[in-house]
Amino acid sequence: MNKELMTWLDSLLQEVEGIEVRRKSSRRLRVDVDADALPALLELLRGRASYVHLSAISCVDWPDAGEFELVYHVWSYEMQSLVSAHTRIPRDPGVYISVYDIYTPAAFFERDIHEMFGVFFEGSPDMSKFILTEWDGPPPMRKEFDSEAWVNEHFDWQDYRPEWLQELEAEGGGVAVPPDEQRFSRRNIDDEA
Amino acid sequence: MRPENYEARRQPPSYEYELNIGPNHPGIEGNYAVKLRLHGDTVIDSRADAGYLHRGFEKLMEGRLWIQNLAITPRICVPDPVPMEVSYCLAVEELCGLEVPERALYLRVIQLELSRLAAHLFTFGGHAATTGMYTPMFWGIADRDQILDLFEELSGGRVYHIYNIPGGVRRDHPEGWLQRVADTIDYIESRLPDYDNLLFHNQVFVQRARGIGAISQQDALDWAVTGPNLRACGLAFDVRRDDPYLVYDRLDFEIPTEEAGDAWARILVRRSELFESIRIIRQCLERLPSIAGPIRCPIPNPLAWNVPAGSVYTRVESSKGELAWYVVSDGSERPYRTHVRGPSQMHAVQVLEKLSTGARIEDVAQIMFSLDACPPEVDR
Repeated sequence: MNKELMTWLDSLLQEVEGIEVRRKSSRRLRVDVDADALPALLELLRGRASYVHLSAISCVDWPDAGEFELVYHVWSYEMQSLVSAHTRIPRDPGVYISVYDIYTPAAFFERDIHEMFGVFFEGSPDMSKFILTEWDGPPPMRKEFDSEAWVNEHFDWQDYRPEWLQELEAEGGGVAVPPDEQRFSRRNIDDEA
Repeated sequence: MRPENYEARRQPPSYEYELNIGPNHPGIEGNYAVKLRLHGDTVIDSRADAGYLHRGFEKLMEGRLWIQNLAITPRICVPDPVPMEVSYCLAVEELCGLEVPERALYLRVIQLELSRLAAHLFTFGGHAATTGMYTPMFWGIADRDQILDLFEELSGGRVYHIYNIPGGVRRDHPEGWLQRVADTIDYIESRLPDYDNLLFHNQVFVQRARGIGAISQQDALDWAVTGPNLRACGLAFDVRRDDPYLVYDRLDFEIPTEEAGDAWARILVRRSELFESIRIIRQCLERLPSIAGPIRCPIPNPLAWNVPAGSVYTRVESSKGELAWYVVSDGSERPYRTHVRGPSQMHAVQVLEKLSTGARIEDVAQIMFSLDACPPEVDR
């Protein structure tokens, strides 16, 4: 993107209230914006600055701050640059508005985030389950969901000691390491810390 | 899977009926289902049904060290695993500010293009098989195997190579490997006239593929279609050229396009891309021997590697389209959050539902394969 376009885009973005723009490189722009102003920003980017391609919507859980961070990555084929618009919404009740009317592909990402993080998007065409059809537990991508603890609670560790391994162990060999003693298990590293 | 959840919906008497295609069927490279609603043999409604390959990779990655995650990334897409590795490495490198040596960059490009060749040959075969022609499928798999042999020699792994690490590649190529790459791509190039005879000049296939699953350029842009599927609609966009990474801005290659946007145009674009990939590999083979130097930059102890806090979005062009990683670090030895955006997340869900509605039932599998959708990218 050339200098002139950059300046033009920067001045255009200033039309949105409470916006903070950081240029990471000539093709990457990071924008932090209030949750109220995000749809207006996306409409501006799509309608007036040719950012027609919604590459992805990412969700990040920040339980200590009590917030979800939603990141909308939009790309312009003409400007050849990518804008990542970051916004934060309260974790409770975890409701936000859909941008499906601005970007059609948002439907997939919003459905995915609803399933994995439990964020409800008002106005999204379909919030039904897609990947975790048989799952009735809490949204698994939230930080408080500990997969290892869930597995320990619901399954037994398999005692896998076939004959060939027992023979090896009798000779002083064998590689079976109980889960608690595995070097990179989260538990051990947390204990050391 | 609980069978009680799949009870048939009660409908008033009509000519309409429901049909589940999948999760196992020849239309796709993995387990993936579509629920069709039909009137006669015309599809009037289509719903994608994913989740058969969900392994929770994004959650798993949060619990493992940065370096351990390398073993997970290629498993997200089986037919084309290298772009997954490379884009994850690019993200970690950008967060850490690592400068990858030039030799490693060229080795990565060779792998990426070999992987693209393998994936496209696989897709040729698969696409032909959905129209009942099984010979190109066996040919495609056999020729792809020659490339897997090269990967095995380079990295020890045939499908999952885990050859790239943040900062470069694991080891230099073996003695004589570059010559064998040159021989293999010569062989694949010499095979393409045979594919033309059997598949691309075959009227049975041409008639079946032409006009099927057509999408206009405007629709493609609205529905976030990327990669060969977008180029088949006439838009010459390629991440390799328009958002360059590695050394693609120093290489000479064309971006093939077609106008029609149907299944036939899509396979023609892939056919032309084979030649471009071969061209790119030849340029790399020519330049690589004269580039001395290390194959990776020094990295900290990977078992106690605190990656600086920050977030990064890296994109590469895989054989299926735009592939991106959003990686967040909180400065600890594990990723705080990783999010993978696979091209098939669009192609296999919204685009497939849209294109198969109105199609005839015998074309549904062909539409799926012509979009080159990869279910594990959707499920992750």
